Amino acid sequence: MPMVLLKCDKDIPEREKHIYLKAPDEDTREYLPIANAATIPGTLSERGCAFCGAKLVIGGVLKDTIQMIHGPIGCAYDTWHTKRYPTDNGHFNMKYVWSTDMKESHIVFGGEKRLEQSMNEAFDEMPEVKRMIVYTTCPTALIGDDIKAVAKKVMKDRPDVDVFTVECPGFSGVSQSKGHHVLNIGWVNEKVGTLEPEITSEYTMNFIGDFNIQGDTQLLQTYWDRLGIQVIGHFTGNANYDDLRKMHRAKLNVVNCARSSGYIANELKKQYGIPRLDIDSWGFSYMAEGVRKICAFFGIEERGEQLIAEEEAKWKPKLDWYKERLKGKKMAIWTGGPRLWHWTKSVEDDLGIKVVAMSSKFGHEEDFEKVIARGQEGTYYIDDGNELEFFEIIDLVKPDVIFTGPRVGELVKKLHIPYVNGHGYHNGPYMGFEGFVNLARDTYNAVYNPLAGLAGVDIRVPEQVAPILLREAA
Amino acid sequence: MTAEALTDKVDDLYGYVQERCLWHFSSRSWDRQENIDGVLAKAGDMLTGREPVLESPNDRLQFAEAKSMVEDFRERFPWLREAGDEEIRQLLDGLKERLVDIAITQSHNRELKHHLY
Repeated sequence: MPMVLLKCDKDIPEREKHIYLKAPDEDTREYLPIANAATIPGTLSERGCAFCGAKLVIGGVLKDTIQMIHGPIGCAYDTWHTKRYPTDNGHFNMKYVWSTDMKESHIVFGGEKRLEQSMNEAFDEMPEVKRMIVYTTCPTALIGDDIKAVAKKVMKDRPDVDVFTVECPGFSGVSQSKGHHVLNIGWVNEKVGTLEPEITSEYTMNFIGDFNIQGDTQLLQTYWDRLGIQVIGHFTGNANYDDLRKMHRAKLNVVNCARSSGYIANELKKQYGIPRLDIDSWGFSYMAEGVRKICAFFGIEERGEQLIAEEEAKWKPKLDWYKERLKGKKMAIWTGGPRLWHWTKSVEDDLGIKVVAMSSKFGHEEDFEKVIARGQEGTYYIDDGNELEFFEIIDLVKPDVIFTGPRVGELVKKLHIPYVNGHGYHNGPYMGFEGFVNLARDTYNAVYNPLAGLAGVDIRVPEQVAPILLREAA
Repeated sequence: MTAEALTDKVDDLYGYVQERCLWHFSSRSWDRQENIDGVLAKAGDMLTGREPVLESPNDRLQFAEAKSMVEDFRERFPWLREAGDEEIRQLLDGLKERLVDIAITQSHNRELKHHLY
């Protein structure tokens, strides 16, 4: 089966290169969707911007860092509080938002003084906080504000603070993926190696590409504690700014989200010789495999087996209860990129669910190589899908549940199809053994929620209401 | 072993790697080649009873990847237990050829040869 041109795309035939339907005996040598390419004019993409990729996904997770957004106020609000990444210090990062609130006069006359004033005000207001990331945005990049120079001046005036700058305006890439890249490379080149960690274990690693969504990092940390492994840098879930300056001292980089954070793992290998181990943290069999690989690297296999046995004894019966009830259900996954390949086999193997369509907002071609290798035949693989395509795909594959973000989630709810928040989760964490039971529970609650069916009933039509009343009476 | 039997067995191993592993789909063609060469070399050591060399951090990484894979190979493909050293070499050579083909030589991934990460 070649690439697919959907009916809704008849006027934008270029979209055919971005949608693939896997057929028997085909693989990525024959067909690979084009990805990480500019959105085609005529299609309304649901992508985010490059600035969002740096701030919302990675930098904004840090628990002790002022996130100074040099731009209009909307850039701040729209990348704040929309992702749930708690911290163990009272959720500092989710309580506050900072912006230089650029207005027309600042655009006309330049915003550097405004930025310097804002940085100083923020440090004055929060004297206990000594770390800051400054982000440029579209307008401040266009007028050429030199945020590095301003940061340098503030650090000179305030010797006890450290500031990192991210020059990644929204327009600088085709999607949020560009922001991941800029922050990764900037951080490893400018900040890693500038502080030394206290080593407390002979087994040290960085855990990269996990952002503590609803406590993922904190759950996995209980495993590393039990295994006696010191995590020097969590990039960036529940992390301190300074911890990430010490990443050069880890013996191993373990990577979960290879798309947002693979760059820093590659650079840590190139610059410091730290090997990169990619694992899947979602799913029982994948998590067990990840633990086994990490333990094999350190030569502590017995500890790993003990942890796996304890976790499976505790959580497997619960997982199996959901598997029995979810077997044969059809799922669509419309998220960023890597969750397609992280989840397609794990929900199939651990829950008996068939994934029938997957769409990636910012995945690269590498992500499609991985997901097409793992995914089923008869499944659609879509790059940068738009809403009309989603409607058509839903008609074609008729999913029982869709894992996606709140915006598309609201759309599919209107079609009375349940959705689970595939970005920020419904009730996570979803990683690890316990986490995958949470994912199973949320999937079960979505699939069997009677409201989805009731929402389609017109209460003005007695024929539609009568069966419900009869059922209630029984 | 006939050519057909060899192909069938390589198909099984290849299907496993495609479905379970990530190391052959790393970021650049040189990373992919290094991982394919390294992990399969360590797997060969383990399957033929040789002690894998674990001198460098990368050796340990490839060992960790190979160990997990070899355990699954042995569990899923009972015929592997009967295979002699020469057959294992042929199987892993065949597997390497297939992985290099899909992940490097015939990959359509346009980022594979970018000189920067």
